[in-house]
Amino acid sequence: MTDFVQLVILGLLAGGVYVAVGVGFGLVWGVLNIVNLAHGALVIIGGYLTWLLFTTFHLDPFLTLPLDAVALFLLGYALQRGVINRVIRAPLLFTFLLTFGLTLVIVNVLLLVFGSDFRSVTPSYAGASLEFGRVVVPYVRLASLVVAIGLAAGLAFMLNRTRTGLAIQAIAADREAAQLVGIDLRHAYAVTYGLGAACAGVAGGLIAMIQAITPTAGQPYTLQAFVVVILGGLGRVSATVVGGLVFGLVEVFGQSIPGSGSVFTNAIAFGLMVIVLVTRPQGLMGRLH
Amino acid sequence: MDSVASALRWRRIFLIVGAILAAYALLAPLTSTDFAQSINVPLLADKLWFRIATYIVMFIVLATAWNIIGGITGYAAFGNVAFFGIGAYTTGMLIAKAHWPFLLALPLAPVLASLFAVLVGLPLLRLRGHYFAVASLGVGVALGELVQNIDYNGTPVFGGASGLFLPIYSIDNRGLYFFYLMCAAAAIAMGVTWWVLRSRFGYGLIAIRENEEAAAVLGVNTTAFKVAAFALAAALTGLAGGIFSQWNVFINQDNVFSIEYNVQMILMALLGGTGTVFGPAAGAVLLQLLIQFLGGSLPISIELPFVSTNARPIVAQIILGLLLIAVVIFIPRGVIDFFGGRTRLSWSYLRRSLRETSL
Repeated sequence: MTDFVQLVILGLLAGGVYVAVGVGFGLVWGVLNIVNLAHGALVIIGGYLTWLLFTTFHLDPFLTLPLDAVALFLLGYALQRGVINRVIRAPLLFTFLLTFGLTLVIVNVLLLVFGSDFRSVTPSYAGASLEFGRVVVPYVRLASLVVAIGLAAGLAFMLNRTRTGLAIQAIAADREAAQLVGIDLRHAYAVTYGLGAACAGVAGGLIAMIQAITPTAGQPYTLQAFVVVILGGLGRVSATVVGGLVFGLVEVFGQSIPGSGSVFTNAIAFGLMVIVLVTRPQGLMGRLH
Repeated sequence: MDSVASALRWRRIFLIVGAILAAYALLAPLTSTDFAQSINVPLLADKLWFRIATYIVMFIVLATAWNIIGGITGYAAFGNVAFFGIGAYTTGMLIAKAHWPFLLALPLAPVLASLFAVLVGLPLLRLRGHYFAVASLGVGVALGELVQNIDYNGTPVFGGASGLFLPIYSIDNRGLYFFYLMCAAAAIAMGVTWWVLRSRFGYGLIAIRENEEAAAVLGVNTTAFKVAAFALAAALTGLAGGIFSQWNVFINQDNVFSIEYNVQMILMALLGGTGTVFGPAAGAVLLQLLIQFLGGSLPISIELPFVSTNARPIVAQIILGLLLIAVVIFIPRGVIDFFGGRTRLSWSYLRRSLRETSL
């Protein structure tokens, strides 16, 4: 029983990272209709920023998260405005390839700058954990779950309560109509992508505290973000939160199956995704339009 | 009038140059490498180049096969490398573990690959757009992971993380043999594409690409057509995988389930021109030559300024990424447009393709 409780808790905590990775990816996909294959690369930029600030300025890694967000927002804004906006009306294969090209460039520039060594962020409280009887709750993971939920809540608030957020939602609903009521599409698209990148940056900061990172460590997160968004259902932040937590649970329980070890994570994730897509394409939480 | 004449001239030049290059590539290897070295025939004097030529032809097969599902049917398959891997492991396992002769094991590669395509195609091809693209990508990734990690009683079934080694195929002029075998596969792939584009089947696929609902209304059995196109692409890809396994003698997750192959085959088809017979092949030759050139494996090479030898492969990847971005933005219809004589590469062309897709 305690084992079961422990697994549930570990699953939810693991889900925190997936929530953080998923919300930005889901926003860009839902509003701009871009499956952003560069999302994982943006995540890793955030990770390296946190690592850099932690090792050179001894900043607490959690305090670096807002800086990650700002830096990645600016990068994302520039990328969308300068590059991705140019193919936004092309068939989907083109945005796919374009964002893959961005990934190649980002990952290899990181390789040039930082090399392929593993980097990790280990503040003094890295190994500490809360203990309730035999159930253990690692500190850093708990804090990152809280940050991830906060990130999702902040994004939801922004989308529903601010003028910019409402403009973004208007674009998602009907691009031409949004343009008619005076929304500057180029700017709004760039802001949306920038927000997605900012979420990726925060996610990257969290990931740097949880695992050692390399320039290529982001790629699995792109695929997992996709699965998370599908699981929850495209179009709402709260659905992505549920998707991320469910994904974390599935991962942890999948790894606990004797004999499977940790090696079939992707196989389980994609199997789950295909089942959801075929049987319930609107996702666990989604509504049919 | 003038533009038509110049268009025809360009087309003729393109065909003549292409035919000469193809003839050279096909016939030159017949002179033995030793002989080529003694009189210093360009490129051929280098055995590595010969290997690269086989590799290029392999990508002609992959890009041409992708074109059937991605270009003609319009389904953005992003996981075709799964079929390459299945083909490679089918032939590889039959040779290494069951000791079948190569030529008996090879035909099973396309058979198994297309069976798998039917199996996953039935659920996956119900998905559209992004969903199909990423779901197929997921199949490729998951399959590579499974093949590497499946154990039976503690021993890896498919060679595990250390890969699968095949016995070396004993035949005179091995390099030549596999080069022509790969060329035969490429000829089959292009022949199949040629046939598809002129058949009822192909018209059905094009109808699906242009408007799937309308195609269904017109009486096209869309599910059967899509799955058949997927299986056909899988068979050709699997064939290339089967040849690769015996040619390369060593297969593992990295060299037969590589995601980069996916992207490369799509970029090749796109660069050359999707939906055509020769476009993907032209794109494969161009892009693969460029990749090898940037990687520094061609006999003709340049020093990149400010780049150390260690950083060279990394810089090559960056250039490749930038090229990918530039092609997607500026040449969305592929370079075959220029050679086919319909359009000329000009500033106004680049500006127009930019305007057509940008916000």
